[in-house]
Amino acid sequence: MSLPPNAAAALKAGALKAGALVCGVADAAAFDAHAPDGHRPGDLLPGAKSVVVVGGAQPRAGDWAATSPWVLQTMGTTERIQSVGRKLAQSIESELGYYALYVPPGTASGDTPFLSLMLAAQLAGLGSRSLAGPVLNREHGFMYWSGVITTAPLDTDAPDPAPACPAPPCREMWEREQTTPCLKTCPAADGGCLAGRLDHGRAVRTFYDGARCNTRVHTHWIGGFQKVLEATLNEPDPDKRKMLVYGDFFTRTLWAITYSSTNIAQCFECMRVCPAAHGLKEMKS
Amino acid sequence: MSLFTLDPEVYKRYKDQVLKLCNSFQRIDQPGLSDKQIAETLGLDERTVTEIRCVAERDCYPLEEWETAIEFKRKAALEWAALALKRPELRDK
Repeated sequence: MSLPPNAAAALKAGALKAGALVCGVADAAAFDAHAPDGHRPGDLLPGAKSVVVVGGAQPRAGDWAATSPWVLQTMGTTERIQSVGRKLAQSIESELGYYALYVPPGTASGDTPFLSLMLAAQLAGLGSRSLAGPVLNREHGFMYWSGVITTAPLDTDAPDPAPACPAPPCREMWEREQTTPCLKTCPAADGGCLAGRLDHGRAVRTFYDGARCNTRVHTHWIGGFQKVLEATLNEPDPDKRKMLVYGDFFTRTLWAITYSSTNIAQCFECMRVCPAAHGLKEMKS
Repeated sequence: MSLFTLDPEVYKRYKDQVLKLCNSFQRIDQPGLSDKQIAETLGLDERTVTEIRCVAERDCYPLEEWETAIEFKRKAALEWAALALKRPELRDK
């Protein structure tokens, strides 16, 4: 079956109508140079030609300004963009007649995803890596991603040549203070995750503590559950065991796990202060 | 058939090497290897490497680091709210 000439454009229009802010198409073969064996589109769907990526469902200004970090992490909106991804997969199969595999948002094993959606977004021309890590779109900043692997040979988009990071205020801050908002908020040199610099206006990350970042992004998630479970099993005193199991940390973790994917991201602090991620929007108080 | 569990001695011996080579945590200068590639590099089988990686991902930091995460996020959120809402008193909340 051949594709209609406007297939990619029609899919993109459908994605935007369904609620995505951006939609792009990556060449499935482009993953080979970046993703490890087993985590490329063709590993999940043999014969994959393209990966359609959608982004959107950002937190609102009020979410970013909330005084409690638990607001943003319990209001996760990833499911909204995931539903657009599922709809795209359905359209590709029913309207174009090609296999379409919705990239599962969970993990393939341990903490490793099936396919990196951030890499997919980059290759589809929807954004670029920030100094802090997340992929940022030049127009919309931070957003959530979803993707569909397909055997349809869709017209592909080129990676965005102009990064959103560093934003002009970050360049100015670097000139003044030799740091940026994200580096200042979560500095590796002071118990955080990030280190880097701006080099001729370009962001260069020099260190990233992924393991520590994991304790922050997934505080009340699988890792926290396992850690408290281990501590409980090793605790000989039944009264102390009760404090661990009935306490706030374990209780909150169980709430988070049972809410499933809406709670996966639990740390936004490098993005909260990032001018390229969402900007400081003045709203009426 | 019993559940596949890792020999703790094998874990201790290979943990650092597997973490260094794997793709669990983003790196600046190198893409990570798949479990299969790591297995070939270290002369282990793939399932063993997968288990080492999964246990090691969780084993990098003690439980106390999770508590640190809570305090870090609490303070950072208040800092931003104070700035964004022009309410400096929120910093001391």
